[in-house]
Amino acid sequence: MELCSEEAVKYVWEGAIPLQIHLHESEVTTLPPPPPILVLGSRIGYLPLLVPLIKPHFSSTLPPGTDSVWFDYKGLPLKWYIPIGVLFDLLCAEPERPWNLTVHFRGHPGDVLTPCEGEDSVKWSYINSLKEAAYIINGNCKNIMNMSQADQFELWQSLVKGNMDDFLRISSRLKLGPLGEDCMVRSGSSLVQPRQAIGEPDFTGSGRPCRIPVRLYVRNISEDLDDLEDAVPIDCWDRISYINRPVEIHKEEGRLSLKCAMKTLLPEIFLEESLVNNHEFSREGETVGADSSYGDSETIGGLRNAQAEEIPFPGQAHVQLLKKSKIKMIRIQGIELDMDIPFFWVVNNLKNPEYFLHICVFMGTSSDQSTIR
Amino acid sequence: MAAESPTSDRKVVVHLRATGDAPILKQAKFKISGNDKFSKVIEFLRRQLHRDTLFVYVNSAFSPNPDELVIDLYNNFGFDGKLVVNYASSMAWG
Repeated sequence: MELCSEEAVKYVWEGAIPLQIHLHESEVTTLPPPPPILVLGSRIGYLPLLVPLIKPHFSSTLPPGTDSVWFDYKGLPLKWYIPIGVLFDLLCAEPERPWNLTVHFRGHPGDVLTPCEGEDSVKWSYINSLKEAAYIINGNCKNIMNMSQADQFELWQSLVKGNMDDFLRISSRLKLGPLGEDCMVRSGSSLVQPRQAIGEPDFTGSGRPCRIPVRLYVRNISEDLDDLEDAVPIDCWDRISYINRPVEIHKEEGRLSLKCAMKTLLPEIFLEESLVNNHEFSREGETVGADSSYGDSETIGGLRNAQAEEIPFPGQAHVQLLKKSKIKMIRIQGIELDMDIPFFWVVNNLKNPEYFLHICVFMGTSSDQSTIR
Repeated sequence: MAAESPTSDRKVVVHLRATGDAPILKQAKFKISGNDKFSKVIEFLRRQLHRDTLFVYVNSAFSPNPDELVIDLYNNFGFDGKLVVNYASSMAWG
């Protein structure tokens, strides 16, 4: 499998959600009310970047006052610093096209939403996420801090304009990837492909674990839900667990699947499974850890489970992740991925331009649990 | 593992450090629940310093988004048993 598929990256960059944006009725001062506006929202883009397109359409009907723009979906104020594609994947269990959003120019809900002061706020947030990702990968963010103003400007512009070639050209200097087939950013392994050998000198031969920046969004849905359209809409952000936990891969663990990566991210979910396996093995008098169905994941699985006892699941109290929970669906960049797909491929091709892999996880819980508020 | 179990409410020691001309706090270290969001640290600083505009960083490096849990930040970026948070009244590290 190719390290980086330019075709896949191109799909991500060109991915867009058709949006139908309505002005909130409280801000309509003219008759007839303005029709909704249809725009394409880039998956890797951010909602405030659409304001210059939307504002002229509604400006003549707005009540007096100063603008503080925000969006909501079915009453849920949307966090502007989450990429549009992630919001869509997470909040629209059954993809709705066009996606109907409401825009507000007044009455910003300061208690639930950090205000956005236009493009500069979004750029600030993007650069800081990029630095955070670099810190996870390299242990520092020197490469981002040392970027020239011109490069930083160009990098940001490439994102705003959706110019993938410019982005790849500038970001290649940041030395944040790609990840090798052995899931090392760079290693001395004989499997190293020529493409990989270019420009990652920092990690040559180093035995340190490789860390992949991941932002996880976990949403509960009913286990016996047949139609995703019937999923209860999210009415409050507390119903989603937002977890920032890197996938840490040790050199000896080699190539791993998305499933193994998910095990390291959410060991609680796989805990029951591993307990069952351990039980079987101890009965047969064999060493725990020899389970072939675990394959290359055994080391990490075991490692992380041990760690999980020490650092319990940090989810908010509102979202219950009980042992009975099962992963029902995983969505990355709008794709429901096969759990056996190699993780390095997922990271290299489906990450967002701030080098975070955003994973939306839908947990199936039995229906009585999912109604608990 | 239920999120409500008492062990899940791990406390994190946050070490606050002033940068630039930002005033220094009398109490630089305090404990906060790992389940709190980073926004709670920002709010605390804003209240203490009576400032609306404040730039808050981790490890003099980056500003996390307000929703990130303190426990995640501690696990990912903490060292010596604490999470170092820097604050400045003007943009310090871009």
